[in-house]
Amino acid sequence: MKRRKFDLAATPGKAAVGVDDRFQVATPLRRLLNKVFPDHWSFLLGEIALFSFIVLLLTGVFLTFFYEPAMTEVVYDGSYAPLQGTPMSAAYASSLDLSFDVRGGLVMRQMHHWAALLFMAAIVVHMLRVFFTGAFRKPRETNWIIGSLLFWVGFLAGFTGYSLPDDGLSGTGLRIASAIMLSIPVIGSWLTSSIFGGEFPGTIIISRFFIAHVLLIPGLLLALISAHLGLVFKQKHTQWPGPGRTNGNVVGERMFPRYALKQGGFFMVVFGVIALLGGLFQINPIWLFGPYEAWVVSAASQPDWYVMFLDGSTRLMPAWELNIPIGDGYVIPPLFWPTVVLPGILVGLSTMYPFLEARHLKDRKSHNLLQRPRDVPARTAVGAMAVSFYVVLTLSGGNDVIADKFQISLNAMTWAGRVGLLVVPPLAYYVTYRLCLGLQQHDREVLAHGVETGIIRRLPDGRFVEVHQPLSAANGHADGHGELDYVGWVVPKKMNRLGALGPAVRGFFYPIEKPVEAPVSPGHPPVEPRPERAEIGSGESRH
Amino acid sequence: MTSDNDRRRGLLARLRGRPAARSRGRRRLGAAVRLFAALMLAGGAYTVFAPGAQAQDNPPLTGAAAEGKALFDVSCVTCHGRNAQGVEGRGPSLIGVGAASVEFQVSSGRMPLARQEAQAHRKPPVFTDEQVRQLGQYVQELGGGPVVPGTEDNLHEDGNVAAGGELFRINCSQCHAFGGGGGALSSGKFAPSLHPATDRQIYAAMLSGPQNMPVFGDNQITPEQKADIIAYIQETLKTDQDPGGFNLGRYGPSTEGLAIFLVGIVALVFASLWIAGKS
Amino acid sequence: MSTHTEHQAPQGREPLDVNDPGLTRFDIVREGARRDDIEIVHYEPQVLPGTKAERRLTRVVAGFFLITGLAATAFLAIYIWWPWQYAPGRGGDKFYTPLLGATLGIALLAVGFGILTWGKKLLPKEVSIQDRHEGAVDADGRTITGQTMLYMADELGVKRRPLLGISLLAGLAPVAAVAAAPLVGGLISQPHKNNQMFTTGFATAEGGQRIRLVREDGRPVRPADISTGGQLTVFPGIEHGVSNRHADSPTLLIHLRDSDAQESRRANERIGHGDFMWGNYAAFSKICTHAGCPASLFEQQTNRLLCPCHQSQFLITDNARPVFGPASRRLPQLPIEVDSEGFFVAKSDYTETIGPDFWERP
Repeated sequence: MKRRKFDLAATPGKAAVGVDDRFQVATPLRRLLNKVFPDHWSFLLGEIALFSFIVLLLTGVFLTFFYEPAMTEVVYDGSYAPLQGTPMSAAYASSLDLSFDVRGGLVMRQMHHWAALLFMAAIVVHMLRVFFTGAFRKPRETNWIIGSLLFWVGFLAGFTGYSLPDDGLSGTGLRIASAIMLSIPVIGSWLTSSIFGGEFPGTIIISRFFIAHVLLIPGLLLALISAHLGLVFKQKHTQWPGPGRTNGNVVGERMFPRYALKQGGFFMVVFGVIALLGGLFQINPIWLFGPYEAWVVSAASQPDWYVMFLDGSTRLMPAWELNIPIGDGYVIPPLFWPTVVLPGILVGLSTMYPFLEARHLKDRKSHNLLQRPRDVPARTAVGAMAVSFYVVLTLSGGNDVIADKFQISLNAMTWAGRVGLLVVPPLAYYVTYRLCLGLQQHDREVLAHGVETGIIRRLPDGRFVEVHQPLSAANGHADGHGELDYVGWVVPKKMNRLGALGPAVRGFFYPIEKPVEAPVSPGHPPVEPRPERAEIGSGESRH
Repeated sequence: MTSDNDRRRGLLARLRGRPAARSRGRRRLGAAVRLFAALMLAGGAYTVFAPGAQAQDNPPLTGAAAEGKALFDVSCVTCHGRNAQGVEGRGPSLIGVGAASVEFQVSSGRMPLARQEAQAHRKPPVFTDEQVRQLGQYVQELGGGPVVPGTEDNLHEDGNVAAGGELFRINCSQCHAFGGGGGALSSGKFAPSLHPATDRQIYAAMLSGPQNMPVFGDNQITPEQKADIIAYIQETLKTDQDPGGFNLGRYGPSTEGLAIFLVGIVALVFASLWIAGKS
Repeated sequence: MSTHTEHQAPQGREPLDVNDPGLTRFDIVREGARRDDIEIVHYEPQVLPGTKAERRLTRVVAGFFLITGLAATAFLAIYIWWPWQYAPGRGGDKFYTPLLGATLGIALLAVGFGILTWGKKLLPKEVSIQDRHEGAVDADGRTITGQTMLYMADELGVKRRPLLGISLLAGLAPVAAVAAAPLVGGLISQPHKNNQMFTTGFATAEGGQRIRLVREDGRPVRPADISTGGQLTVFPGIEHGVSNRHADSPTLLIHLRDSDAQESRRANERIGHGDFMWGNYAAFSKICTHAGCPASLFEQQTNRLLCPCHQSQFLITDNARPVFGPASRRLPQLPIEVDSEGFFVAKSDYTETIGPDFWERP
């Protein structure tokens, strides 16, 4: 028998050939490796949400090993002395055990909660980026809708998760949620009773929320996120305008290796920040809230921040009760408008916005280049209006804490919120619009007259003028100014942003390498590199 | 229901590692104290106690009341009037408020009032402990009322934090918040933070119901239960550095929401600025 | 050398022969990119092999990875040996979670920044341009797919044989209902079973026995238990009365001052509740009529009751009428009296609906 020589170095190659023989993956793999992604810091905001979702899955699975989704009454006998002997639900007791009697359980629970807050925060910040740069325009309307749905599904995920420990604070939240469902005309009581399995709180809601929180909602989130990413991949990422960038191309880096490496590193950074938050900052100290009891409440009972705007709208709502005098009489309680109708309108408006704008502008073209917020004052101003609306509501959601800590009257805070909700958004619209126009004008001014140099010259007639550095060569205009078109990208406003100076020399205290040659402008001598220093010992020249 | 409750308490006691029998004995003692306090309170508000009744647990300090009157006539008479009958529009009558009220208001610096506003604020006290006692004695002898027992500073020595926690959540947390940090009430009034309060001040506040705080007399919350509540406040809320890192001021989810933006999002935005920046 | 700055290759170029032995590996990479309509227009190593800069950056990256190793080891050591069991007071266990979080965070951040530095500083910088191929709609493709689908419809012949379509729909509709039925049927629950939305634990028992007001520990309440200006949370003295099974029953028993009590009684009489109070005592539902939170911040001087969830304020002396905030309905009042043994009892159940409003509340 002839013994074949085993060639270790050739093994990966052979294996690769074997795989390709069977699956024909070489060409698709090449396409994947070659995908080009544009690089800008604001394109990384969505990744924060994606990565915190992964952390949520990881920590969440850990929590399910110890959490018991049951409302059976037990007497706590764990190691947290101030609650020993207190009757409570099994869900709350197991959450306490998770915090005190499972080694490292508390850091996991806190990481999970912080990751949830970060997930929602990153979604909102990412959404603002997409909105203000016009990235939602055709062909990306679908992805905008999926993104808005992700916010609302994330909202549900957060609320169900927040309710699971069955502590005093979350139970109060659940009580309000049941009241919100109850307030829906006609079907309210049926809906509430069906969800809670009878009168509030019943004995089953925690198990139902549990399965929604660990299976149904994450499944939905996963599906939506996959679709979201798939569409980004298929439609290719938008990019900022700039040299060489057109509506028909993507200028950036190929996905592998550098881009992917940076993504991997960023994931670790997000994970690390969540771990630091989870360890160093206490979140939701359920042991202080006590078990949920229908007669116990704490001052400053707030939901998590992404629900706070609803709490705010509820607080600001005047006591307008609608009575319908038919038969025994029917009621639409004031709670219905700010908690059911308002979110409904918000969902509708936010998902439909791309179509509303396109219709308004009669714009049916595809857009792959982003817009600077200042260049679309109307949209930016509408966005500012929406943000200020949301902020007023969110602040009102915590108005008792603000009232207490800043010693303002609580009633005054409520009135300030009511007035603010009506006054601040239009004001924000106006101010933003004017700001955008001002910024636009300044851009045009710099393009036409050049950058301010800070040099003041006295004219023979005694006037003082500032010398401007034109951005382009003179082209026969009497004042020596050239005409430059605005291309939708940053206009240099300072001398050291002009790009005439060439890339900075690397090295912190002394140059560690020869500077690259500066681009040569016609009519100017090339910039001489600095003389080399002895520390530069590479022995290789660049050219 | 009662048997249910007995079982619960028994369990509680067992978990605390304290024999149930002793707890029962304590309860009987508690009942006696309650009865006594009820008798005291029944006549408390509008009748003047005979000095002899006072003598039982608070032997009169000879001359202390007179010293207190001297202080009163200098510092308090403007608002509360001669003989503490009150001045319309300035200060309420102090007849029947008891030494507990004086002890709370004066030792926490709330009185003398700096200016008329929605609610008095805690300030560095003007009077020494001795002077507070003299003032209290004076007001006590004017019209009777609730008294914080003894002169000891520590009133929660054998309080039970678990029982105190339960009482705290049902009676206190709605205004003073789960962490004892206080909360807002209507129109600029507020429930103050419990953190600077001493044992005696908390006790006095429960007994006397200062300003808008409801009164928790000894019939409702026995001295023993008061000790439990104080133990929970002092040992769990104030001393116990509970696990999980910096507590963000215990303002609930509001500061957590602030933190995720100010810490989480800001840190990560800086990271992404660096990642995508031109090197 | 290795800096490439080129302009986009003209369209319709000849594909390279990738088996040409004269090609460098980069040539093949670029050829692959070109086949995906990517032009690598700028490719520049940031550090040259063997330079001091490269060695320095390598050390930095390696340093990050070593920090990760150290922090991860520290995490494990703390996880295993640090005292972690809760003890009241200021025990070392308070630092267990922060230390775990800090070491884990440092480990992850260091590996993250290590990878990032590697990718950002050590790998060549490049600018590539990829065509989107969006403008050029494949008209032929559209026609072919469209026609194929229409042809498929013809093949099925739904148009010619409408009965098939109709019967299929008629058949599938109940199937959809079958899928929904167990879900809806299983979950649905009659909200007015036992009249539960309109009764509380204070509903008089069958023998006509009136329900006592009890405290959280089950003891019945005597008038002397509450001082003037005091409040007490009371529950129906029935089995499980002090539990979430009777979440709508918690009641606030308030001992008003003389003058306030008179005012309150006058207000009671105005709405025909003249006998609801007993002496200076009045009992109101603790469950807010707005969203169901326990409205229990009783201000004993202003007689206002504040709900901490949405700041509704109720004026106790005016039948707990809402005077501020989003609540639109007064807190129901429980008619009370004292029985022969001297304990508070409810004369009857609440006469108004407890808790948050709903559509069919009369």
